Amino acid sequence: MAGETGRCSCPGCTEPPIAVLRGSGERLCTRHFTASVECRVRETVEGGGMVRDGDIVAVGLSGGKDSTVLLHILSRILLDCPVRIVAVTVDEGIAGYRKETIRAARSIAAVLGVEHIVVSFEELCGRTLDALVGELPMHPCTICGVLRRRVLQTAAGNIGAARLATGHCLDDEAQSALMNVLNGDLGRIARTGIPDAGVLVPRIKPLRSIPEKEVTLYGIVQEIYTPLPECPYAGEALRSDVRGFLSTLEYRRAGTMTRLMAGYDRLRARVGGCAGAGRVSCPECGGPSTGGRCRVCELLGQAGRR
Amino acid sequence: MKVRLSPDRIEDVAVASATVEDVLLMLGINPIEVIVSRNGALIPEDTMVGGADELRVVRFVHGG
Ligand SMILES: [Zn+2]
Ligand SMILES: [Zn+2]
Repeated sequence: MAGETGRCSCPGCTEPPIAVLRGSGERLCTRHFTASVECRVRETVEGGGMVRDGDIVAVGLSGGKDSTVLLHILSRILLDCPVRIVAVTVDEGIAGYRKETIRAARSIAAVLGVEHIVVSFEELCGRTLDALVGELPMHPCTICGVLRRRVLQTAAGNIGAARLATGHCLDDEAQSALMNVLNGDLGRIARTGIPDAGVLVPRIKPLRSIPEKEVTLYGIVQEIYTPLPECPYAGEALRSDVRGFLSTLEYRRAGTMTRLMAGYDRLRARVGGCAGAGRVSCPECGGPSTGGRCRVCELLGQAGRR
Repeated sequence: MKVRLSPDRIEDVAVASATVEDVLLMLGINPIEVIVSRNGALIPEDTMVGGADELRVVRFVHGG
């Protein structure tokens, strides 16, 4: 039987709802759901003073759902602003995976009429991720994370960007916060209290208040969500545990992730830059470091020795 | 009621009438981790389903 779907919560709207927002309980149709997501992202961008007139905003575009949605929303909400958006895709050099996602990235940038550049690990680090994984003992995602951040920074700096936007959503941020706590990584918590210490281009995360489910749903209704192959390097074990655990808690106690982040942001602001948590410049490359050689130089130096 | 979980996994769930949320829980799926459509139309988790409905459950992959 086709059950009653009811109506959208927006006054006067007779369209069927496609989603119930967990925060407010609102039941929204496609049009009002889209508007709600865009409105919350706009509030994050404006409230956080993330973008100023005249800025060049680099947008990390992996071709996956979150960054694709980010680029789509930014290109909409910044449409009338004197801001130049440049999408930046990093080719890590992962055989059998990256080709397809780069193709997806190119096509979404073209559809949105956004400038797009592709930069590779090979150009900037002299090696593909696949090669590095064979040379280094650490988890592929650790190597990839360190180098991707640097490659994005360098590319954003080269185009004169004032901001580097990434597609991290509420779930990603909550997972990282909880992982730092579970790892007892007080240094990282204190360091990220001054988020852009030492970096060339300050980062912004316009989707940080949007749950991953809503990001995905937005992608589906805007017809920009295409399921792509998963990265062959399985993610960090702790993150996938934390992900499952947090979504169970979020299901049982709606708002868990939002409350966690509100508290975590306050904590970080208080402890930001505490003794010993500052950043210095790497003596080799001048990039940000927590003391001595930066992790990029350390990784590449170690790979070169093997 | 047919519930398509992936191109090659279809479950037959015998319920006369239940919410999408109940059906997902019966299948051991956290409603937060999926998006559901019925006969091609996206529906919220509190929607009543059953009988000859065909549900499609999209579990989104992480990242990107
Ligand atoms: Zn509506
Ligand atoms: Zn360095």
